[in-house]
Amino acid sequence: MEEIFDEVVTSEDLKKFEVIYNKQLEANEVTTEAQFNYAWCLVRSRYAADIRKGICLIEALFPDATPEARRDYVFYLALGHAKLKEYSKALQYVRAFLNHEPGNMQVQNLEAIIKKRMEKGEKHY
Amino acid sequence: MSTGPYSYSYIFKYIIIGDMGVGKSCLLHQFTEKKFMADCPHTIGVEFGTRIIEVSGQKIKLQIWDTAGQERFRAVTRSYYRGAAGALMVYDITRRSTYNHLNSWLTDTRSLTNPSTVIFLIGNKCDLDGQRDVTYEEAKQFADENGLKFVEASAKTGENVEEAFLETAKKIYQSIQDGRLDLNAAESGVQHKPSHGGGGASSDQQNNKDACSC
Repeated sequence: MEEIFDEVVTSEDLKKFEVIYNKQLEANEVTTEAQFNYAWCLVRSRYAADIRKGICLIEALFPDATPEARRDYVFYLALGHAKLKEYSKALQYVRAFLNHEPGNMQVQNLEAIIKKRMEKGEKHY
Repeated sequence: MSTGPYSYSYIFKYIIIGDMGVGKSCLLHQFTEKKFMADCPHTIGVEFGTRIIEVSGQKIKLQIWDTAGQERFRAVTRSYYRGAAGALMVYDITRRSTYNHLNSWLTDTRSLTNPSTVIFLIGNKCDLDGQRDVTYEEAKQFADENGLKFVEASAKTGENVEEAFLETAKKIYQSIQDGRLDLNAAESGVQHKPSHGGGGASSDQQNNKDACSC
């Protein structure tokens, strides 16, 4: 399961979705899909700056999101913050998710990984 | 040469693909946990599962990427196809639309994987024979025409689930033995581990622990 946590986006993929997003941004018509796809790649980057940018892009999608989409966003916000070692924040998102869907194994697994990493004594905020 | 229960000689990468709600995550869960997950929520993006199996006396670790079937995830989940040694393509025998979309899933798989990737077609939910919407015969014909292996399976009862995952591994292993699959090629989806394979031990035990704790 930790593969989900440690898996890193290829620079090729990141570039691909970045180009689509930037083109739409220039034309001033960014679709939710382009923004989400780019953000999803960013939070899987090995670089903290990318992950932060991904988090910002996902947060910006919240106001107009459907409940189903919000569920995805909360998951990736949890993952993004966890990758930045901001474990407390990550756990807040995990708990918010599990309040809605207590039985979700995917999120339970993510919670278990986050707790394990916290215990390993990695720094968190 | 000691080989503990958690060491392995090969790693095979699998992907599970198919329409939303056909039971991809339930098949994975049945295979890794030997349990049926009723009320399985839609997968977010991708899920991951692992299990060590044995083929011809060789221990093989399967690394299985289970992709979300929802259309909005499709652009990004395509990147997980790369380097898959096996692809389990799933439809629901009680929903014809999921069968009709197989061509599109197959096109994606063929274009994003390599020629040696083993594609296994699974008609899931065969326990619901009364609600059947796709006959065994037509799916078998589709599989034969496209050179795919095929079974009908049930993530609920476990019928043929083990078989689908194991048969795929056997075919991949056969390709290695025949030299059709080049282990050194990038994106073959197969990694060969030195025989002591100790590296995999602790992390797998850990994975099992994780799985039990929830």
